Amino acid sequence: MPHTAAYREMFRTSLLIRRVEEKIIDLYPSDKIQSPVHLSIGQEAVSVGLCRALAPGDLVFGTYRSHALYVACGGDLTQMFAELMGRIGGISKGKAGSMHLAYPAGGLMGSSAVVASHIPHAVGSALAAKLHRSGQVVACVFGDGSLEEGVAHESFNYAALKQLPVLFVCENNALAVHSRIDSRQAFSIEAMARMYGFPYQRIDAGYDFEEVHRTSAATIDAIRTGVGPQFLEVATVRAKEHVGTGDDFGVGYRDRASYDAWCAKDPLLQDRATYDALIADIDAEITAAVAAAEASPAPGLEELLTDVL
Amino acid sequence: MTQPRPEIVSYANALLEAMDGALSQSPNTVILGQGADDHKGIFGSTTGLATKYGADRVSDMPLMEDGMTGIAVGLALNGVYPILTHIRSDFVLLSANQIINLIAKYKYMFGGLFEVPMLIRTVVGRSWGQGAQHSQSLQSLFAHIPGLTVVAPSSAETILDTYPYLIAKHRAPVISFEHRMLYNLDFEVDRSAAPANPLTPRVVRQGRDLTIVATSIMVLEARRAARWLADNADIQAEVIDLHCLSAIDPAVLMTSLGKTGRLLVCDTSWPGFGTAAEVCRLVVEQDPGVLKQPVRSLGMAPAPCPTAKALEDLYYPNLATVVDAAAALVRGRVDHGVPLPAEKTMSDIYKKFRGPF
Ligand SMILES: Cc1ncc(C[n+]2csc(CCOP(=O)(O)OP(=O)(O)O)c2C)c(N)n1
Ligand SMILES: [Mg+2]
Repeated sequence: MPHTAAYREMFRTSLLIRRVEEKIIDLYPSDKIQSPVHLSIGQEAVSVGLCRALAPGDLVFGTYRSHALYVACGGDLTQMFAELMGRIGGISKGKAGSMHLAYPAGGLMGSSAVVASHIPHAVGSALAAKLHRSGQVVACVFGDGSLEEGVAHESFNYAALKQLPVLFVCENNALAVHSRIDSRQAFSIEAMARMYGFPYQRIDAGYDFEEVHRTSAATIDAIRTGVGPQFLEVATVRAKEHVGTGDDFGVGYRDRASYDAWCAKDPLLQDRATYDALIADIDAEITAAVAAAEASPAPGLEELLTDVL
Repeated sequence: MTQPRPEIVSYANALLEAMDGALSQSPNTVILGQGADDHKGIFGSTTGLATKYGADRVSDMPLMEDGMTGIAVGLALNGVYPILTHIRSDFVLLSANQIINLIAKYKYMFGGLFEVPMLIRTVVGRSWGQGAQHSQSLQSLFAHIPGLTVVAPSSAETILDTYPYLIAKHRAPVISFEHRMLYNLDFEVDRSAAPANPLTPRVVRQGRDLTIVATSIMVLEARRAARWLADNADIQAEVIDLHCLSAIDPAVLMTSLGKTGRLLVCDTSWPGFGTAAEVCRLVVEQDPGVLKQPVRSLGMAPAPCPTAKALEDLYYPNLATVVDAAAALVRGRVDHGVPLPAEKTMSDIYKKFRGPF
């Protein structure tokens, strides 16, 4: 069966994210990017499927693992690389860097490096949407570790209490830095979501952007009709070390077998035909973006105290 | 010709007027806080507003200081102006992550892509055994953080000239330290006297002999002390209400000190690393030569607040300690010979005497 146009588009965005991050891996030893980087390789499909399901005007909040959401929201690549390299041409003039990519024109309203601190932001924006009857849906993407923070409970309780138009998306890579989920959580994520009365769905095939998209779209449609918040857990795999560009399967806190099993299903690795058809164009786009970013100067003294208040 | 009688407004009614005005002027303004919609209405500052503007716009909150403050960020990012209330400023510490790590940084960190204007109202408790956890004046903790505007209104007039400005025009996050003991006091209000920039320090009394720089309720104590010193020792104190702690214009301090050469700082909080320390830094960085005497500072004793009234009375500065410090500065010796007022506890005075100030 030939692939649909939607499949090709989501494949392209996923591959774009992966190739952007592989470019970051290439560049990293040069110290052109002087900030921590949390790579999303392996997890691209979550952002891609979700963002495709959002309508113009909808909002999304994410974490320091922010590259995938930025690209999936349509963020400009030159502005992204310039941001990572600390240049004035960055989307945030170099003041944000890798951990704080934002792209309000595409709905990405911020990325926070304080775990779970953005969950109430999504709830607040959903409250504003309800007050204004704007019809917006707000999505919040967070890792499994976020659910251990107290503010997650406060936010879920309020969202449920006020029946706000918010979609909670747990990107479950079963790791927080080097700690496995079973050593951290005495609760099940499903039971937690259901405690607040959230309709809960789980996607095990977190590499499958089509499934993420189908489920997100149906869920977002439901939320837009006013049924209140919903919870989506997506199982996924983080390919690289928590922060930085290396592989760390050898150090003992996780096993390679489940990653290999994952790769055997990852469309970006398995669908060679689509890959081959897109890769040259994607790589050219990235090369041009990096060159344009490098041409942007560093911010000057006049930026140091700009935008404080 | 008889003088027109000055308008008298209580601190709580000034707050209520400012809140009512904010809600009526913009449909995008909301008030969120524990008890904001109940019959006590944050000590009278929101009473009746939920009925007038609807439960969506003046809303009770679950016990979620951290989450509620994050919700304010999301509201601000999506076009709503949130006013948060906390009946004690101690509870704001549970929102410190949102205020310090997120709100203070949201504009700068994203290179100006976003603004999160909001007003966080908190009430400082004092007297009747508030104890260690219901009494803290945390203004300097937040004034330390770039990106926050911190005010501590000392009167009904400063509320009426500052809050509407902050809410309608100041596109940045604000945290206000209101003082519980001021709520029930009456103040003379001159609505024509609003300064062009309501965030500058205000000279509230002219004098030649010393400068008392004060915050919040200590402005009233400084004014009362100044009157005592004038009546009993012909000492003329100039009193400056700092009002906004996060943007102190040193020129106002230096102009006054150029006249008086003597500085007494009276803050509601601990002097160390606080308002007193900051005022001294500003002055000394401008010109230490302006000072004829070492600086004196008064604030809470360097301990948690004790509950026992006997200790609490010793814990806070009062009229007598302010007069004593001021007289010692002006006379240049501790045995200054100026009679001290017998009054020892501010809380008892303000229970009987409600103004007008
Ligand atoms: C409040 C807070 N505590 C700790 C950290 C350090 N930290 C950074 S990422 C992280 C792991 C979070 O795991 P998870 O939420 O599952 O997200 P993932 O990194 O797996 O995407 C931790 C503990 C932090 N940034 N913020
Ligand atoms: Mg994780």
